[in-house]
Amino acid sequence: MTSWLLQPVCLARIAVLRVIVYLFIPVDVLLTTTFVRAHAQVPGELYAPLRIGRLLPLPTPGPWVETLQVLLVTASLTAAVLAVRDRLPRLAGWVVAGLYLQWMVVAMSYGKVDHDRFAFLVTLFVLPSVGRAGLRSTGRTQAAGWALSMITLAVVATYTLAAVAKLRFGGWDWVDGATLTRAVLRRSTPLSEPLLDVPGVLHAAQYGIMIMELLVAPLLLVRWKDPRRTWALAAGFLGFHLMTFAMITIIFLPHCIALLALLPLERLTVRTRAPVAA
Amino acid sequence: MLSETGRRVRTALTLLVAVLVLAGTFVGQDDDFPFGPFRMYATRDDPDGPVMSTRVEALDTAGTLRVVDERSTGLKRAEVEGQIRRFVADPELLALLAQAHDRLRPTEPAYAEVRVVELSYQLADSRPTGGQSERVVARWTR
Repeated sequence: MTSWLLQPVCLARIAVLRVIVYLFIPVDVLLTTTFVRAHAQVPGELYAPLRIGRLLPLPTPGPWVETLQVLLVTASLTAAVLAVRDRLPRLAGWVVAGLYLQWMVVAMSYGKVDHDRFAFLVTLFVLPSVGRAGLRSTGRTQAAGWALSMITLAVVATYTLAAVAKLRFGGWDWVDGATLTRAVLRRSTPLSEPLLDVPGVLHAAQYGIMIMELLVAPLLLVRWKDPRRTWALAAGFLGFHLMTFAMITIIFLPHCIALLALLPLERLTVRTRAPVAA
Repeated sequence: MLSETGRRVRTALTLLVAVLVLAGTFVGQDDDFPFGPFRMYATRDDPDGPVMSTRVEALDTAGTLRVVDERSTGLKRAEVEGQIRRFVADPELLALLAQAHDRLRPTEPAYAEVRVVELSYQLADSRPTGGQSERVVARWTR
């Protein structure tokens, strides 16, 4: 297991991922998850702190959430610049991770917990542990390997354990229920609404989701001889999230960013092999 | 190469996270975030039963019916649903939504009434029959 966990990975992959992740946070915080900032205006009586909010001495959200937003965006942009320059990766990374976790506590403490953040949170906490990693660094280290393994495990867990949760809460006949019909009734789009009249499609999609989450996702853990298999699988899952968005306007955007770690990001900055002569 | 300590710490952290997330999945609840069960869409709806949805709406002082969502009050529909038992038990809590609306949208007319409406769609063989009903489960008037 340790050899799988610590299999060396190219440092440039980590560097590129850092830039993507730290640039994504302002997008997430300012554009795609705007409800978190709005929690600043919700009276404290509606704050229902999660266990983490009760264990840690975290204050009840209020106007300070707007300051937290500024801090988080500033810290992320700074971390992105530092990642490009390969400076202070641990300090910058863990500051961002801590601030983002606090942001998530504000996000999830009002009666609804989303499950698109686990792999992204793991990514934020493991990226700094790699230490210095240049965008053009071709060196491969075990520290980089561990970070990538943790992200991969978290991505796979998000799928596979979601299937386990369906069996736990929905039972073995979840696949034969009407969960997707309810999903479309609540959040239909022009693309999904016609499907209400062909329940067979939604029924089959429930089988598809269960198979994908339970059986296909673990294939991402396999270190294939031909890495293109992993890339194809990752691309397939990204396509699944896009389709979900088209159907019920829910997208696991932070999770998709974590999923990018499985792609050969280092190719964006490093030429891995000389061009092959024709 | 990592030092012996570096390897041990990383292996231990991996096991710790794995244990926490597995415990969350099998016996945890949403409360255990970020290690709680990944339970979005995990419940099962009866293909021949009703499926429920919720709408939160308000009448403003100008008499216009408004949708109450996160843009107007900072609280998402799913969050109102997550705390729905509190609102049903104590509809006065809906005044807090009106308060949040005053803060977030100071230029809009204030809410004179806020109500939580439960919608029920009847299914037959996973297909909506067209039969649906609405019920106000919590109402607050200024």
